[in-house]
Amino acid sequence: MNQTKYQPEAAGNGKTPIVLQMQGVSKIIKGKAIVNELSFDICKGEIVGLLGPNGAGKTTTIRMMTGLIRMTEGDVLIEGHSIRNDFNKAIANIGAIIENPEFYSHMTGYDNLKQYQRMSDGITDDRMDEVVRLVGLQEAMGKKVKAYSLGMRQRLGIAQALLHSPKLLILDEPTNGLDPAGIREMRDYMRRIAEVEGISILISSHMLAEIEQICHRAVVIQNGKLIAVTPLGEEAQAGGAIPLAIRVGKLEAALVVIHKQSEVQIIRTDEANSEILVSMPDDQVPELIAAFSEAGVRVYRIMDNKQSLEEEFLKWTGGNRIA
Amino acid sequence: MHKFNRLVLNEWLKLSKKRTFFIAYGLLIVMPLAIGYMVHSVAGDMFASGPQFAAEMLLPTGIGQILSILVIIGTAGIVTKEYSQGTIKFLLIRARSRTAILASKFVTVLLYALSLTVVTAVAVYASGMLWFGNGGASLGIGDVLTSVLYNSVYMVMFATMAFMIGILTTSTGVTIGISMFGLTISNLVIFRDFYKYVLFPNLNLAAYEGGGAPLPGMTLGFSILMLAVYFLLFLLAGFMVFRRRDVA
Repeated sequence: MNQTKYQPEAAGNGKTPIVLQMQGVSKIIKGKAIVNELSFDICKGEIVGLLGPNGAGKTTTIRMMTGLIRMTEGDVLIEGHSIRNDFNKAIANIGAIIENPEFYSHMTGYDNLKQYQRMSDGITDDRMDEVVRLVGLQEAMGKKVKAYSLGMRQRLGIAQALLHSPKLLILDEPTNGLDPAGIREMRDYMRRIAEVEGISILISSHMLAEIEQICHRAVVIQNGKLIAVTPLGEEAQAGGAIPLAIRVGKLEAALVVIHKQSEVQIIRTDEANSEILVSMPDDQVPELIAAFSEAGVRVYRIMDNKQSLEEEFLKWTGGNRIA
Repeated sequence: MHKFNRLVLNEWLKLSKKRTFFIAYGLLIVMPLAIGYMVHSVAGDMFASGPQFAAEMLLPTGIGQILSILVIIGTAGIVTKEYSQGTIKFLLIRARSRTAILASKFVTVLLYALSLTVVTAVAVYASGMLWFGNGGASLGIGDVLTSVLYNSVYMVMFATMAFMIGILTTSTGVTIGISMFGLTISNLVIFRDFYKYVLFPNLNLAAYEGGGAPLPGMTLGFSILMLAVYFLLFLLAGFMVFRRRDVA
């Protein structure tokens, strides 16, 4: 809530070009703000997670970005083009899957993709083949979509989103309804796409682990309002404090040691597992371990604290409303 | 224009790749032949010639009515199915305006109606020639084409109405239901003055043939004006709603 609060200049860090700008976007239905003055940016090549509990306004936000829903106030700029006033130019830079990918099931995958080829300018047949290869659907293109599994439809969804070489890929709950293997496959695709195509990706989800694993940054919203923008993964740790969970023999003795280390912050102690959750700079870890052994504190495990995003998320959103 | 043609091609392919697509055409070929045969064997002197059979059958009171029903059924799904299948989301996030997309759908409806009309006209004419011959020749090909024109007006008005209802309701079933209801009650006549401003009595321009009128005080010019007003009203309502609607 504090240092992660959105600041316009913090998002762009000056050098990286901005692909998408949300400028105070609101959606008001019958006097109720579904989305309330939402502003954030997405830079080139960045993977951003849009996080929030169910009903936070994630889908509404994405539908406004793609012009499916009109915004009451504000504007969305994509590569500098307004989605309100210059829709065709703005949307040409976006590829999206909104909720489940739905196709014309009586037609083949190829016929479906052809539909979207005809609706954009300058997509060659070579480009179509390339996209089909990227998502690995070569064998299935001649089959009717009604015979596709959900995983195959997701892949065809990605293919239609990438067809016109967009600058920004928007995925709304991309792993909804997929089994663990499908989720993993999806994740691999997204990484490959980000690398191969070099485009920015916005992923909306309420599944924290998913976001944490692939996103560079998370935008957290609740009740339509921006709550936090937080860096994730390696970016979060670069130079900053890292969260660790340390399982020790005696909690009290360990806490005494930790209190002496000025740069180690205690997040909380977990007495049931005899664990201490701390946040500390990377280079201080060896020192802490040395201090533990000096004081005779038995250390059983030192782990990356994977729970951190979830805990922060619960803190931000008040805890009880996660889906 | 090239862009728009490709949108129309898209719509036509969506329509024509359905397995049920050819049923309407088949029905409209078989039915005139069957009806011709039945009339010929029951009351062979009912029609003097093939052209007379064709000119009467092609009116909204004959096979023309079935043609209109099939066009309504075809039209009903063209917008509503996009909503019910969820494909509307992928359709609208392209670099094409909603106006262009909807216009391509309406053009496709007209093409579909035209193709069905051509098939029907040929089938009815052939059936007439087959069962009643060219004898007498009091009526010619010109009269057949006039009937086709009358029926086309009737058919396009119902198709446009169904198109609009489809946009407003986004339900195929409701669209077919309301349009069929309209088609059924359009044959009723209420002898009140206000009724001439209602769409239905104006639909069948063939009623003015031979100096008649559906209601006293109505003229051909009046009906054409009323039809034009309703046509524009249907399209305006449809396009306004489609352009503004939030796709949730």
